Amino acid sequence: MSSSSMRSFEYLESLPGTVFNRLYKQPSTALAIFRRMLPQLAKSFVMAMLYMPRPLPVADLDTWVRPGSRREQDTAIDLLERLQILKRTAEPNKPRSYVLTNPFAASLRQALTGGGNHRSFGVPSRTHAEGQVTKAQLDDFARRQWEGVLGYMVGSTGVGLNDEGAKLSLAVKHLLKYGRLVEVRGRSVDITQDGFAFVLQEVNAQVWTILILYLENAEELGMDRVDVLSFLFMLGSLELGQGYSKANLTDTQLQMLLDLGDFGIIYQNTPNSDSYYPTRLATTLTSDASALRSATAGFDTALRPSNNDDKGFVVVETNYRIYAYTSSPLQIAILSLFTRLSTRYPNMVSGKMTRESVRRAISMGITGDQIIDFLYTHAHPQMRKNANFLPPTVVDQIRLWQIEGERMKSTVGFLFKDFLSAAEYEGLCQYAGDIGVLKWKNDAKRMFFVTRHEQVAAYLKSQKEKRREGG
Amino acid sequence: MPKAVKGVLVECDPSIKAIILKIDHDKHDYIVEDLDDQHLVIKESQLPRLKERLEEVLADTQQMPDESGSD
Repeated sequence: MSSSSMRSFEYLESLPGTVFNRLYKQPSTALAIFRRMLPQLAKSFVMAMLYMPRPLPVADLDTWVRPGSRREQDTAIDLLERLQILKRTAEPNKPRSYVLTNPFAASLRQALTGGGNHRSFGVPSRTHAEGQVTKAQLDDFARRQWEGVLGYMVGSTGVGLNDEGAKLSLAVKHLLKYGRLVEVRGRSVDITQDGFAFVLQEVNAQVWTILILYLENAEELGMDRVDVLSFLFMLGSLELGQGYSKANLTDTQLQMLLDLGDFGIIYQNTPNSDSYYPTRLATTLTSDASALRSATAGFDTALRPSNNDDKGFVVVETNYRIYAYTSSPLQIAILSLFTRLSTRYPNMVSGKMTRESVRRAISMGITGDQIIDFLYTHAHPQMRKNANFLPPTVVDQIRLWQIEGERMKSTVGFLFKDFLSAAEYEGLCQYAGDIGVLKWKNDAKRMFFVTRHEQVAAYLKSQKEKRREGG
Repeated sequence: MPKAVKGVLVECDPSIKAIILKIDHDKHDYIVEDLDDQHLVIKESQLPRLKERLEEVLADTQQMPDESGSD
């Protein structure tokens, strides 16, 4: 699963149940969560249970899954419970059962079979008086705005770039500052650790990061987060190149149109026009993984500066020298984050990677692998003629510089200890491994370390009940 | 009844672990549980402080090769 959807997960999981309840009333939200957030097995469970009139006993669900795939089953069930899609019912004298929660099931049924007057998938605008906007125009607009945002973030790293391109509104700058992607000191803007990692992410992950920041910030501005969230999920279901009517949007959502326009996620001819257009940044938000990858790949290429027909422009020599055939301020700024640039020509910059420059980048939060990835994807076609086209000495050295700083690896979590019996230890340890939270274990000491304890504790309790029932 | 203790799992080389043990030795206010050669659990609140102390110790004991500015 991509890191972007992981981030949106973490945000969603932190929401209280009442928010889920209101969110799932929108069919578009239920569908978006279903298709974007769930692994295939979880989808199968939901589909199978969607039209079931009665709760499904736990034992019956277990028979659907091969014994060898318990791990996948546990992960899927765990996720569904955390997203409050599935819940366990416990009534006396009845076997424990699963049931889909209601606003979600009803909304998903409505989304799949149609009907109702919910308008949650957006209302296409019928007036074309102001002139149709083409997809190319939308892509161009989105690219300009988004590059502008990235350029603003990295443009201050001492290369002395004149800011060209899109003008950023105060709201955008405020949001980047709020999210600690940049730090503003007086008139100068400095990129932070998080910001650095952000710039090198793929576009879709970047959009999600920005949107989650926007959500958190929206609460502070007094905007209703259910309104904001359901609008975001709706955006993902819109069609590129189609205008949509503003008529049935809430005030919060109208404000969002303006804010998202600054990022190039939404396009409007004028702020007062009565329709809006989602750009590619918006329409790929909640599409499922495969569609997303190709779409972002397409957009990624589109995002590369137009003066490079081929996207490779970096030459790396075995002596750590770098020659980059580019005049794009964004690319130069990114390079300068981990290279000591010395000379700039009209169409090329040159410099050298040093221990100091790479260590500086690593201390800002970027990993050595990210640097290597960047060099790899942007390698000049001349370099690609060799099979192993990045000099192995350089790649190894970057990794070594990285390891130098990683004296210890730390993971927050919980240590389980003081088990009475080997059986108790083994059962719980096995379960923790199955749901993927186990980090370390020692059979002899009967101790193990997990990243989350809620599920494990719940399992421990259920085992105990089972034993009591049995005994 | 097994116990669950909140903390941070630290993975490191035995040499680094030895330094951590030494840092902890003064007041015993970092380590929750010593697990094995390469693992220990420390208090979450102390993690930044421990990292700082570790850097200090390493800076004292290690010589970094000088980098001349010539290209």
